[in-house]
Amino acid sequence: MPENNGNNMQGKGVSRRDFLKLSGLLATAMGFTALPPLEESGLPAQLNQVAQPAEVLMTRALETKQRLPVIWLNFQDCTGCTEAISRSVSPSLTNLVLNTLTIEYHETLSAASGFQVEEAKKQAMEKYAGQYILVVEGSIPLANDGAYCVIGGRTALDILKETAAGAAAIIAVGSCASFGGLPKADPNPTDAKGVWELITDKPVVNIPGCPAIPEATAGTIAHFAIFGALPELDGLHRPKTFYGKTVHDRCQRRAFYEAGKFALSFDDEGAKQGWCLYKLGCKGPTTYSACATIKWDQGLSFPIQSGHPCLGCTEPNFWDGGGFYQGQSAPLERPAATAVGAALGAGAVLGIGTALVNQAKKKAKGEAK
Amino acid sequence: MTAVKHAYDTFIHETGGWVASQLEACTRCGMCAEACHFYQATGNPEYAPVWKVELLRRAYEQRFTLVGGFKKMIGIEKEITDEDLSHWSELNYHACTVCNKCSMVCPMGIDLGSLLHGVRAGLAAADAVPADLMAAVNKQVKEGSPLGMTDSVWDQRLEWVADEWEVDIPRDVKGADTMVVFSSIEVMKFPTNVAAIAKVLNKAGEKWTVSSKAREIVNFGFYQGSEENTKLFLTRVLEGAKELGVKRIVVTECGHAYDALRWHGANWLPEANDFEIIHITGVLGELIGSGRIKIKPGAFDGNGTITFHDACKIQRKGGHIQEPRDILNVLAPNSFKEMTPNREESVCCGGGGGVIAVKAADEPRYAAFQLKIDQVNTVGAKTVAMTCSNCRLQFTDGVDHFKLDWKVAGLAQMVADALVE
Amino acid sequence: MNPQAMLEFARGPFFYAALLFMIFGLAYRVFTVVALGWSKDRVPNKGSKASGVVKTYLKALLIWPFIPWVKNTFDRNPLIYIGGGLFHLSLFVVVILGTPHMLVWKSLSGLSWATLPLPIVDWTAAVGIIAMIMLLINRRINPVLRLISGPAEYLSWLFVFLPMVTGYMMTHHLWLPYENLYALHMLSVDVMMIWIPLSRISHFVFYFFARTIHGAEFGKRGVAV
Repeated sequence: MPENNGNNMQGKGVSRRDFLKLSGLLATAMGFTALPPLEESGLPAQLNQVAQPAEVLMTRALETKQRLPVIWLNFQDCTGCTEAISRSVSPSLTNLVLNTLTIEYHETLSAASGFQVEEAKKQAMEKYAGQYILVVEGSIPLANDGAYCVIGGRTALDILKETAAGAAAIIAVGSCASFGGLPKADPNPTDAKGVWELITDKPVVNIPGCPAIPEATAGTIAHFAIFGALPELDGLHRPKTFYGKTVHDRCQRRAFYEAGKFALSFDDEGAKQGWCLYKLGCKGPTTYSACATIKWDQGLSFPIQSGHPCLGCTEPNFWDGGGFYQGQSAPLERPAATAVGAALGAGAVLGIGTALVNQAKKKAKGEAK
Repeated sequence: MTAVKHAYDTFIHETGGWVASQLEACTRCGMCAEACHFYQATGNPEYAPVWKVELLRRAYEQRFTLVGGFKKMIGIEKEITDEDLSHWSELNYHACTVCNKCSMVCPMGIDLGSLLHGVRAGLAAADAVPADLMAAVNKQVKEGSPLGMTDSVWDQRLEWVADEWEVDIPRDVKGADTMVVFSSIEVMKFPTNVAAIAKVLNKAGEKWTVSSKAREIVNFGFYQGSEENTKLFLTRVLEGAKELGVKRIVVTECGHAYDALRWHGANWLPEANDFEIIHITGVLGELIGSGRIKIKPGAFDGNGTITFHDACKIQRKGGHIQEPRDILNVLAPNSFKEMTPNREESVCCGGGGGVIAVKAADEPRYAAFQLKIDQVNTVGAKTVAMTCSNCRLQFTDGVDHFKLDWKVAGLAQMVADALVE
Repeated sequence: MNPQAMLEFARGPFFYAALLFMIFGLAYRVFTVVALGWSKDRVPNKGSKASGVVKTYLKALLIWPFIPWVKNTFDRNPLIYIGGGLFHLSLFVVVILGTPHMLVWKSLSGLSWATLPLPIVDWTAAVGIIAMIMLLINRRINPVLRLISGPAEYLSWLFVFLPMVTGYMMTHHLWLPYENLYALHMLSVDVMMIWIPLSRISHFVFYFFARTIHGAEFGKRGVAV
């Protein structure tokens, strides 16, 4: 029996029913009702029938595809994105990531450690050269020759470049790997960078979020597994499937925004009534993410539903976006009183100066008026 | 180029905080045009008040502001030329009575009248004043009156008035309370007004006098915009008053003279504050209000509708708005009707500001007067009362020109005619 | 420059610079006038200057803008009264009572207040945009306005119109992604702020000079204004 996802899963104890559920979940999360053109996907011809429900197609596709080797690197991160995936209550999803995909290297999840695991990574890179998916979690520091993040005596940048060279595609998971995240926040002491700023000769997909939504990570990997190609991306290299709409567009509190009903503090009547959190600094209108639809913990909730404004974590530089509780429309910086005073003072002094010159002109023409 | 230089110098001199702040406030919305009777009557966009003050604005921008300096540097700012001066001379002396109606309309509240006066000052300094107006100014400088009312003429006319209407006109009485200064328009063209005022004051027992030194209240220097000439003519009046030791100076039915003496005099000549300066309309209101004279109620009822024309310098700019109405409501309670708009919003007659003295301005002047004709005809008035002899000159001329059948009346004369003996 | 970076620039350093330039420029403009010297008025009053000032502000701020047809010059050019009035009304409603704008004021001043529901603000904004177009057409048609309008007047119109239109597009997600429109909105606002002290849009400062002088002049003469 060939080693493919279907029988691999069964071998690992995932039931057929769970696998179907997973496929359905992914299909929905990726927004498929019917699968897109499949010619390029290399799927068997009998699957290439658009009339079939997406769920069924997805199941078949996952079942029949070869396992996908993945190397997962952690740099300046908090491992929150790994946590989000591994602790996901959805067993199917965990299974997908941990079992379906061959995670060849993952510092946190590997049983082995030290030289052993580094050796394993090396072998995997050789064995699957040009085929593996590189997942990066965490930003890469450049300051002081990369001294702020060194693994096994080598800098993050070194490791990234080496690993990226043989990768089929790179998926930057989480805000840090995508856009630098928290380490890049002002004053960015480590000169942290996102992957796409450093690797320009390979396709890089960004799955920003703090942490990244597990379904978005899994869905993107699954997309590659099924179609052998990356999903359609937006200008910030984010899969349009998950980042095509703003949080605001799909927010359950949107109606309150339109009606002008806003919570003004976290414990006022508006907050209790579930009114819009815009005035409490919600960044939903400019934040592209599927938070409001996929939500978290199997669709249980997401920050706005739980009463906290969106921080805008899927957007670049969100840490420096003018304050989490500052209205989204507010300017990023408030001029200090001294700056305003200086502008006023300079204007006044120059103005009075000009006026005195003009007065002199007037005096030259007779008595002042 | 010296004319242009003089204009610039004067514009700069005229531009203090008052002028500059108002020039800065203009948004160029063009609303002032709709208030201007000359623009309304002719549709000539150049008659828009905002455009009339263009030279003053340009001088301010070029000489005082960075924007103007920058515009000059890149060559899009035009210096004022001799042609500009003569062109704006026409706009300002032919088609502006400085009536200040535009100020009532300006959404910023800019006091356009004072800016327009500033423009005249510059034009006057550049000798860009219409020849016939200038001739009148020169005549007043030399003979003491623009209408040729020399000493002897004044003397004879007053004597004749006193004889003809059998009124006593006290002359050069030292220690009198009140000095009345007539305008030559009244003395020469509306002598009944002189007689009427004399009759009223005598009846009230006022200790009053006229002065042979201060015999002309008309101030053509003010029309011209020349500070020097305005001061010269004001000085003649004030010296006359000082010589006789009077307490107050009464300006008779002449609008701009009242404006010059009452509202500007003290700023040029501080000694003006030694006297109380009041318009005859104010005096009439005071005398009737306090009961010192009595007028016959309804004396003018029954001869068709009477309406009242508000003069720009006496009502809108002088504040004597209520007195004429109180008086007319007694004299003609049934036939007095207001025109619309009225009071401080009234439409100017079109003859003030020296316009009537400029022959070349006849066309816009008659055109503007048609607005007044429409107003009067709308209320169907047969008599138009007013408190300004310059307006009255324009009205009588207009009535003649357009062959109208109205009576034009001075308010003082109506009061005198209705005095209860 | 991607839209996100452009937006950060427009909301961040550019806004900051534009705001300070506007403050500087307006201070300069005001002080050139204030320090130019004001001749003293020695003429005795007939009425009260203070009451004239109070009356003229009451009328100009509370009465005329809302019932402009009481002005006897209204019928002669109603477009300018209606267009101008609606534009300013729209401006104040949107900029003060629109939620996103209130948050700008809040971030700058620390003060916050209740705002209007979006549909109301939105319709008002649409009215303001239509009024602006009306005013431009009027400026091209009316002979006086044609005469007195130079490039600066049309630029002023443009620099005010752009923030209004981009703001409207942004609310309705028209044609471009939200943050692109947001970036354009902020850029146009920044340009407008720079233009304000260089142009007659600064009339909102000098208005108070002119209106006060008007009230004092007429009050002094005992004329109801």
